[in-house]
Amino acid sequence: MSGGLVGFGLVVVGILFALGMVYALTSRYGRMQDRPQPPRGVHLPPPSLLPAVLALGAALLGAGLAFRADDQPIANPFLAIPGVLVMVSGIVGWVRAAGREWRETDHAAHDDGGSGH
Amino acid sequence: MATTTLAPRFGAFRRSWVWDWLTTVDHKKIGILYIVNSFLFFLAAGLLALVVRSELAVPGLQFVNVQTYNQAFTMHGTIMVFLFVVPVLSGFANYIVPLMIGAPDMAFPRVNAISFWFLPVGGLLIFSGYLVGGAAAEGWTLYTPLSGAAYAPGYGTDLWLVGLTLVGTASILGSVNFIATIFKMRAPGKTLFRMPIFVWTMLVTATLILLATPVLAAGMIALLIDRNYGGSFFDPAAGGNPVLWQHIFWFFGHPEVYIVILPAMGVVSEVLPVFSRKPLFGYRAFVFATIAIGFLSFSVWAHHMFVTGQVFLPFFAFMTALIAVPTGVKMFNWMATLWRGSISLTTPMLFAIGFLTMFLIGGISGVMLSSPPIDFHLQDTYFVVAHLHYVFFGGSVFGVFAATYYWFPKMFGRRLNERLGKIHFAMHFIGFNLAFFPMHELGIQGMPRRISDYSATAGWTELNLLSTLGAFLIAASILPFLVNLVATFINGERVGDDPWEGNTLEWATSSPPPAYNFDVLPPIRSERPVFDLRHRHDAEHLAAEPHPPGEGEA
Amino acid sequence: MTARTRAAAAELPISHREAGMPTPLVGMLLFIASEVMFFGGLFAAYFNSRASYAGVWGPPESAPELEILPIALPITIVLLASSFTMQFGVWAIRRGDHRAMTRWVALTLALGVTFLIGQAYDYTTLGFGLSDGLFGTVFYTLTGFHGAHVFGGAVGLTILVARARAGQFNARHHVAVEAVSIYWHFVDLVWVALFTTLYFLR
Repeated sequence: MSGGLVGFGLVVVGILFALGMVYALTSRYGRMQDRPQPPRGVHLPPPSLLPAVLALGAALLGAGLAFRADDQPIANPFLAIPGVLVMVSGIVGWVRAAGREWRETDHAAHDDGGSGH
Repeated sequence: MATTTLAPRFGAFRRSWVWDWLTTVDHKKIGILYIVNSFLFFLAAGLLALVVRSELAVPGLQFVNVQTYNQAFTMHGTIMVFLFVVPVLSGFANYIVPLMIGAPDMAFPRVNAISFWFLPVGGLLIFSGYLVGGAAAEGWTLYTPLSGAAYAPGYGTDLWLVGLTLVGTASILGSVNFIATIFKMRAPGKTLFRMPIFVWTMLVTATLILLATPVLAAGMIALLIDRNYGGSFFDPAAGGNPVLWQHIFWFFGHPEVYIVILPAMGVVSEVLPVFSRKPLFGYRAFVFATIAIGFLSFSVWAHHMFVTGQVFLPFFAFMTALIAVPTGVKMFNWMATLWRGSISLTTPMLFAIGFLTMFLIGGISGVMLSSPPIDFHLQDTYFVVAHLHYVFFGGSVFGVFAATYYWFPKMFGRRLNERLGKIHFAMHFIGFNLAFFPMHELGIQGMPRRISDYSATAGWTELNLLSTLGAFLIAASILPFLVNLVATFINGERVGDDPWEGNTLEWATSSPPPAYNFDVLPPIRSERPVFDLRHRHDAEHLAAEPHPPGEGEA
Repeated sequence: MTARTRAAAAELPISHREAGMPTPLVGMLLFIASEVMFFGGLFAAYFNSRASYAGVWGPPESAPELEILPIALPITIVLLASSFTMQFGVWAIRRGDHRAMTRWVALTLALGVTFLIGQAYDYTTLGFGLSDGLFGTVFYTLTGFHGAHVFGGAVGLTILVARARAGQFNARHHVAVEAVSIYWHFVDLVWVALFTTLYFLR
């Protein structure tokens, strides 16, 4: 079992090292530019935190399902309930962002065209 | 059709790069995220492989106990398949496919981002088993009843199931994205039969993911229900059937291996023509062979179950042998592409040719295994381990490195150093064969797989030691690659749009491309628009004076 | 961008396709394909279990037989009706009548919620649970996941009602309504297959 922990520790150290390397390298090029303009006729969503939020919520929910004690009927509430809340807020945020983008694009929603969410 | 810019959510203040990458919906950044994340998992799973090989080098348990060993090979397989080889090729596809079809981004950019972010969280869930009493330890195929609540209590297996459900959901969403993008976002002139082969293989791969992964999800949910909610799917005492798991798993699992190999075949189909200065031989045959492989992959799953005695052997043996036919067509087409070509042995070309030879060996051992009488002796021996590594590693991973060296200049505007690349290739190639070729013989001699130790009198010691040396050589070969990466980022040779004189649309824009990929597109009249662009004056020059074709670019 | 590509530019800037099926609808159809395979996996588990089961296939001895009345058949009719109301809503918005569409979609939502409540009530009367043998396991897994998909559809319908009341749909731009309607019909078809398999084919 200690072998497993050592291995896991090595992996975590490796991940942190690699991430640090990526940070150092990518901070050399491509910092914030002004928002780039898509070509005429194309509309694409702006950057959004919601995908990462939804992933976090799904992870919490999943952990809640996995770390279930025998006396809990469905899932571990300390993980699953925050997970559900985060996911719901993410979905609500998504719908509101879609609505906002609909209002901002010229005229009606272009949701019969080539782009999506 | 007016308006394009959508107001930034938080206004135009400077943000850190962390926020930039966390919130990106740009397919190029997401592709890089996929690739970096996958390589990190590659290193982790590679370390686990070294644990396995160190233990097996000589008889006796020297380093780990049996439980730790079981976790090591289980996590090695799981991480390599689900968190390295499929996502890294998806990452390259995410970056390159929209460029190859002349699109400004994927069809659903935010869903694209979700598909990425589920990967690190799913992978961490799977790994976190190590922190809570042990990761999953029943082999990456997690057969019941060993993976049921009775024999695998503890959180590791549940975390595996839940984490993989997240990863699987992400792939399904990604496959929807790819198929919609390829059908709806191609530039004018880019008909289906003018798409690069890499796009075709990604289309078929995405279809396989779309149709096969949900079946795995159903199975994993069934196992979770059995383990945690008193279900009886796989419980013989309640009338359930443990072999049902194998059916469900392999119905997904066999298309999965084609999901692993087809993108790599696509990469090779892009690299070989460029470095042979010849078009790909038999474009249409390639397309139809790829589609045929996609169809057939759903009909062969029970060849993993020949020894259960519960499957109809003749049908599955026949279909498995049949799937070698379109694969053979591709092999011959690749060789015909090389034939009489003007070959330049750059690093991507070396890896592509390495793919051809190594995948051929893996394919042949696969055809051997497709015969039930042979399979009865070789199932669950090291012969199967040899076969799967020749196709996964000798096939897909060689394809991954070919893609890395080939498209790195496009992604980062700098070319990786050729000398270091060739050292990487040489060490990798030799180490790979040293590690895995002896396993064919070990399997024939009867060495079972998934064992942590073997008898000193079995006669397997020398070959195991050789195999372990090979494994460490593979690990060492990563070093020139990492050094190459760092050195190139710091001070590598800068390149322009088209350093390799490529054929496909990604080489028609800057390196790296601007935010929405193309300011203008060249005319698209064939599957090689950039080649056509470079040679567009040939007809005039042939009539006029002997000028070299193309403009005065590098 | 180099001089070469600039000089050779002969095409207009990229414009997205407007011909053919709208992209969000393509996405929904592909997603439904994956859902078909998911239920396919569950049905495969059902049929494999059924085929290899040694005893009498059905609820355990202690529980009553599965009956289509008083709950299962009525909720099936409710769900089938909701598909009709959904389609009436789609036809309404294609004509441009977004008020009628809103009413039909709201009615669909109400019928869907009725189905879910009925299903939940049915669960309490069955007399066996998920952990009561193989039949209990497959029955609750299949109907439970179907119910979860109905719930997801109900969420989608709620969003449609909210967007409709904000005036976001008209005759030319209503792909979300089309997409959700296809999903709803799919959910209904799965129920027809489930109901037939669990209550009739057995």
